[in-house]
Amino acid sequence: MAGRGKANAAGRTPTRRKAQGPAQSDAQMTRRTAMLGAGGLGVFGVLVGRFYQLQVAQSENYLSLSEQNRFNYQTVLPSRGIVRDRYGEPLARNTLDYRVDIVAEQVDDLELTLGQLSDVISLSDKDLERIRKDIRRKPGFVPVTVSDHLEWDEFAALNMRVHALPGVIPTAGEGRAYPEDGIFSHTLGYVGKANDADIERDDDPLLLQPAFRIGKTGVEQAADETLRGSAGRLRVEVSARGRVVREWPDPRDAAKPGRDVWLTLDAPLQRFAAEQFEDDSGGLAVVDCMTGELRTLLSMPTFDANLFVSGLTQADMDALNGDEKRPQYNKVLSGGYPPASTYKMAVMLAALESGLVDPYKRVFCGGKVRLGNRNFHCWKRQGHGPMDMRDALKNSCDTYFYEIAQVIGIEAIAASARKLGLGQRFDLGVAGEKAGIVPDPEWKQTRIGSGWRMGDTLNASIGQGFVLATPLQLAVMAARLGNGRQALSPTLFAGVDRDAPAALDIDPAHIAFVQDAMWSVCEEPGGTAYRPNGLGIQGFDMAGKTGTAQVRGISRAERAAGVTKNEDLPWKYRDHSVFVGYAPYDAPRFAVGCVVEHGGSGSRRAASIVRAVLGEALKRDGLTARAEVAAPGTTL
Amino acid sequence: MTVRFDDTPGLQSKLFALNWLLPVLAGLLGMVGVLAIFSATDGVLGRGAMQHFVRMGAGFGVMMIIAMVDIRVWYGLAYPAFLGALVLLVGVDLIGVNVNGSQRWLQLGPIRIQPSEIMKPAVVLALARFYHDLPSWRTSDPIGLAGALALIGLPMLLVLRQPDLGTSLLIGATGVVIIFLAGVSWRVISLASVLAAVSLPIVWQFGLKDYQRERILTFLDPSRDPAGASYHITQSKIALGSGGVSGKGYMQGTQRQGGYVPENTTDFISTVIGEEFGFIGSLALVGLYIAIITVCFRLSLQCKAVFSRLLILGLTTTFSLYIFINLGMVMGLLPVVGVPLPLVSYGGTVILVVMSSFGLMLSAHLHQGSTLPKSE
Repeated sequence: MAGRGKANAAGRTPTRRKAQGPAQSDAQMTRRTAMLGAGGLGVFGVLVGRFYQLQVAQSENYLSLSEQNRFNYQTVLPSRGIVRDRYGEPLARNTLDYRVDIVAEQVDDLELTLGQLSDVISLSDKDLERIRKDIRRKPGFVPVTVSDHLEWDEFAALNMRVHALPGVIPTAGEGRAYPEDGIFSHTLGYVGKANDADIERDDDPLLLQPAFRIGKTGVEQAADETLRGSAGRLRVEVSARGRVVREWPDPRDAAKPGRDVWLTLDAPLQRFAAEQFEDDSGGLAVVDCMTGELRTLLSMPTFDANLFVSGLTQADMDALNGDEKRPQYNKVLSGGYPPASTYKMAVMLAALESGLVDPYKRVFCGGKVRLGNRNFHCWKRQGHGPMDMRDALKNSCDTYFYEIAQVIGIEAIAASARKLGLGQRFDLGVAGEKAGIVPDPEWKQTRIGSGWRMGDTLNASIGQGFVLATPLQLAVMAARLGNGRQALSPTLFAGVDRDAPAALDIDPAHIAFVQDAMWSVCEEPGGTAYRPNGLGIQGFDMAGKTGTAQVRGISRAERAAGVTKNEDLPWKYRDHSVFVGYAPYDAPRFAVGCVVEHGGSGSRRAASIVRAVLGEALKRDGLTARAEVAAPGTTL
Repeated sequence: MTVRFDDTPGLQSKLFALNWLLPVLAGLLGMVGVLAIFSATDGVLGRGAMQHFVRMGAGFGVMMIIAMVDIRVWYGLAYPAFLGALVLLVGVDLIGVNVNGSQRWLQLGPIRIQPSEIMKPAVVLALARFYHDLPSWRTSDPIGLAGALALIGLPMLLVLRQPDLGTSLLIGATGVVIIFLAGVSWRVISLASVLAAVSLPIVWQFGLKDYQRERILTFLDPSRDPAGASYHITQSKIALGSGGVSGKGYMQGTQRQGGYVPENTTDFISTVIGEEFGFIGSLALVGLYIAIITVCFRLSLQCKAVFSRLLILGLTTTFSLYIFINLGMVMGLLPVVGVPLPLVSYGGTVILVVMSSFGLMLSAHLHQGSTLPKSE
């Protein structure tokens, strides 16, 4: 006050304007301060109003938004159904599987994170390259697999550090495991990550989950819908970085596990059959003669399907591909082999049904038949001498069949073969079944483009030439011959409704004639598959037929000099050993078809395997000796 | 200019005469900050709460020292302080440290200072002195206006160059308030308003950087940038709104726990208070600020010297603008600019600047008996 007064009194400021007095100026500033205060109150009123609007008026809305923020739904993978054999033994199981994924959009520095991960779990440069590639290809929110099948200590170490690694998500989940011996690998197939084609075909959101596995081959693929189940969801509380803070499970949202699939297979029997093969290559099927159910569906050698689940290394791949026995190839369904002499039953039935051939009339075998300027040889160089139809099958005389085939013609033979189940698929439900070839003139015209010749008929009459059959078809043929009335079809899946089999449409008397001839092969001294102790089960006989399929032509020169013995040839030029049979002879229960690749004569390798398998199948079925089961009045 | 100290009362009587309400309220606010930071850092004392407590203590000391010093000293230092701040700003322009594309910091040995923060009180000091010295009849004439505009415009331009639009506007707004309080005529005010309205489009077109325009556009239309700035605001509104009337309880905020609101120890600290204490907590916070501002107004009205009154009101205006801009931004009323909530947000510079301001106000009020030279 004093200062102002002094300044005023000094009057140093001459002015044209009227100067404001100090009191006036003071009052003005107070007035303006009041205005400022009022303005400030207004501004703070706006703030309070906004607080009211957010926290009182619209609070419920924001509360639900905050819940949405906080809670998230995670897809829960359903447990995959178990694949079991007929007695419930699990063949494809689920095991605990430790894995780690990475969500790119939650990662600050990918290279740094990958580096830190490499310190904890073993990641090769190749793995890292794959992870980077996956991250580039996929949207940022999609989890990318860093590694599955972690060891427990790696998984534990990772969990210790995971809080420092945003975007890295370790999970313990379920993985698929198969028996390591691989005996069921061809039938079961295996599961794998869904690829682009799978996702294109199937819009189930499960396929986008990195831990999800879809059936790729075999039963896993065929029954995928049943085994898969449906996704569940889990309410989780998440942080802004996507890290799960808490889980809020709700039973209504649980994943629906896939249903189990039961196969008709008998796992111990299949294992027994695999043991009989030892190191040999081939296929074998055991069919129930009354129902058509498959008890065994075996391809040898096997491969470990677990390798395909965990990711095949190049070394594994090379080992599988480089093996001349082709472990991955499903020989029992996909392998087409000349049935050789096992085709003779079809020729016999054709002859009997045609009525053109008297089965008791003898044909002289001199070791070869001349047709035009070509010789068709019997396997027995010096000939069998005079043979009627039964003897011809028992001794597997080729000459006899060369002769009768010319009488009845190829069409009749082909028709008969088809009735027995050759040349067709059975729609087992798994992929890979081959139809084989039952040749006739029409087939040759369309497929080869040339006319049928009598020489083709002769070759076909001993199951060589164009004829091809799978071990499964051979087993079905044996089962239909054993059953005699129904055209049985094989089945793999248990408990599936199907139509009653069609009638076989062959005169039962003719069937009985063939059955008796097949019995003589195995049970009469001199039969090509005769063994004094037979099946090895007292009171049970078997019926069957050997086959020895040539895989190479034998030149005239070689024949003159003496045919090279199988043992002296490289493996891949040796004959295939083929056998079909069923037992017990008088009340057929099981039928077997078997091919041992390059196994030599059918009377040796394949016959001994089938004999052992039939015996085991009967024992497993409770038939250990005739005396135990034969009740008075039964026809056994 | 001579400054006489002979009528300076003793320290004890000064402490007795001091307006203790302001320090107490400031201390309360600081404790609110400590609690909020403690919650925002998931209850870990060493991740901010402790530091905030210590800094508040230091700030308290600085405030007391400044308050005890006679107002004539600060009057005498008004222009030198302003010039010093200007030099520092020029220094920033020449040799400043560039962080995230803006050059705001000056490295002086081990410490890094932000001259634009120092400039805020410095401008108020200079303007208060300018109007104190200016004969009141010149307030609205060209010389008076030009002087005031120079004192405001120079720092504004330098800060804008950093670029820091928020601080620049804050300095400008504070300056305008002081001019208004100093008694500029309504004729000039209406003329300036018209001029501002006309020049706005020109400033928009040529005065702003792309990102600044983008920020304002995003504010006007949040869908332009859903994951960026507006995500920030959306999450912040969800945090506040979900708190409801009574809040989720201390340390119970789910938005906070989930880390949905970034920067929630600094600029967005009020979301923690709003979420965990609800509307009641927000009201208490705003109430505390209004109480402080009311005390400041009372301090200014009790002073007679123009310098003291304008100094107190100018600093109060800066303080209030902090609060308004911060809360307005957190609640989506204003675009996102980096302005902290004074004494609550984590950060040392703001505590120092605000507590120093309080010190200056207290000094002005305590020494209202000291005679300041006045030319009229």
